[in-house]
Amino acid sequence: MRKMNIYTSAIKNLALLVVLGMVCGAMTQNAKTHYPKMARVDQYLMADREAEIALARSAAPDSIARDAEVLVLGRNGFETAVKGKNGFVCIVGRSWTSAADEDYWDPKVRVPMCVNAAAAHSYLLRITKITNLALAGRTLAQVNETMTTAIAKKEFPPMEPGSMCYMMSKQGFGGDSAPHWQSHLMFFFSDTDPAGWGANLPGSPVVGIADTSEHLTQFVIQTQRWSDGTDDLQVPPRVHP
Amino acid sequence: MREDWLSEGRFMREDKVGAIVINSFALLVVLGMAYQARSQDATKPYPKMAPVEQYLMERNAEIQLARSAAPDSISRNATILILGPQGYETAVQGTNGFVCMVGRAWGAAFDWDEFWNPKVKTADCLNPQAARSILPVFFLRARMVMAGRSKAEILSAVKAAFEKKQLPDLETGATDYIMSKSAYLTDQGDHNLPHLMFYTRVKDGKDWGSGAAGAPVMSSPDWFFSPKEQPQMKGLPPILVFLVVVTNRYDGTPAASRRMIQAVQRESGMAPQRLSEEEKQCGK
Repeated sequence: MRKMNIYTSAIKNLALLVVLGMVCGAMTQNAKTHYPKMARVDQYLMADREAEIALARSAAPDSIARDAEVLVLGRNGFETAVKGKNGFVCIVGRSWTSAADEDYWDPKVRVPMCVNAAAAHSYLLRITKITNLALAGRTLAQVNETMTTAIAKKEFPPMEPGSMCYMMSKQGFGGDSAPHWQSHLMFFFSDTDPAGWGANLPGSPVVGIADTSEHLTQFVIQTQRWSDGTDDLQVPPRVHP
Repeated sequence: MREDWLSEGRFMREDKVGAIVINSFALLVVLGMAYQARSQDATKPYPKMAPVEQYLMERNAEIQLARSAAPDSISRNATILILGPQGYETAVQGTNGFVCMVGRAWGAAFDWDEFWNPKVKTADCLNPQAARSILPVFFLRARMVMAGRSKAEILSAVKAAFEKKQLPDLETGATDYIMSKSAYLTDQGDHNLPHLMFYTRVKDGKDWGSGAAGAPVMSSPDWFFSPKEQPQMKGLPPILVFLVVVTNRYDGTPAASRRMIQAVQRESGMAPQRLSEEEKQCGK
């Protein structure tokens, strides 16, 4: 259940922020909440629109991102900044979708991602809804409850087959708990047992997280290079150190 | 020095033909361009089936190679198949739903020019979804090959089996671990590449960014590499296979060198003809 420690869509990053973050030695031992309440909305926004577009695009190689739709965060949620033509959608995730719970309100969090068309039709809908709720000042618990209920009522579609995203930016910030993550791809499924992928076993290149309350399973596969082609030289993930 | 395969962006950029071709049964990986280049050559390296014994292996060696497809945490509890004179048979009964085996070239795309290459020995560990939905096809093909049937006869039999619904539909999430460093995936390069493969119903590899410069994703149709062969697809379920290169081999050692890709690049005439000193080091 994300209610305790995993935010729904943020699981995608949690796999990294927790698993990979630990490997990088970035994990703080103290789970103290540094951001107990919402900051001013302005602090979550990026004043430089072009900078946000560039950061969003950095999630994927230029060959993909340059033709992707780009969304930027406004006061009322994500809005289209650049029309795309290849089906991919790039955004900069914020703390409520992309950080560990203690960083839920951290206004510094910036998590670039480029989702493919299938994920844009399914996974991204959840991200944008959560963003709207957070911008309206909803707490983590309230967001969890709202999303769980909405999903139970099938107000959101299941993960579309083939849903995946690129998270290969080295410019993001995941929050104080785990500031950085490794370059990776993510794959989204509905109600899939991570064990069926061999995930989370020693030596497995796959990290998997299943959130039964959201009927969402996310798989993470580390890649060797950042989106700009440079090597990601961090050590590989160890789920069970 | 870190070795990697993710320089594929360099050749993906020149992706006029379409990314990297992956042979069908998780076998491997040949550049589409190289494929085309070779197919223009009238000399086929493996025009017919080799003697059956050349496809067989010593039992324990085959079990060991099969297990090397995935980390021990997966393969030690997997079912292990070995190839016998009648087809595949169970050597070790597993408990985790995974099935590990050594694939042969004739499990790959029907138009692969190494289809009858007896040296090809691929180590695969299929997850339960793939074991249920992909393996039955391979079993059929193996039985027919071991009975001496031709490629055309095998293709016809597979189509007939699908038509009669004797073969299952592809399951969502069908995945194959190919992380061995002791396999022989192709005559190209250094013959190995640790990766995961995903069998999907995705229609276009571009939906995953396959073929885009710098993307760590490659794709290929399952049954035939060449678009020219697509008419032969009639009667076969469309399956698009994605390949994601992983950072380590099954035993945790760093991923393989770039030699195979470089070799294919050279063969296709689109890469430097000589390795730099750095590349030579990476290739070792």
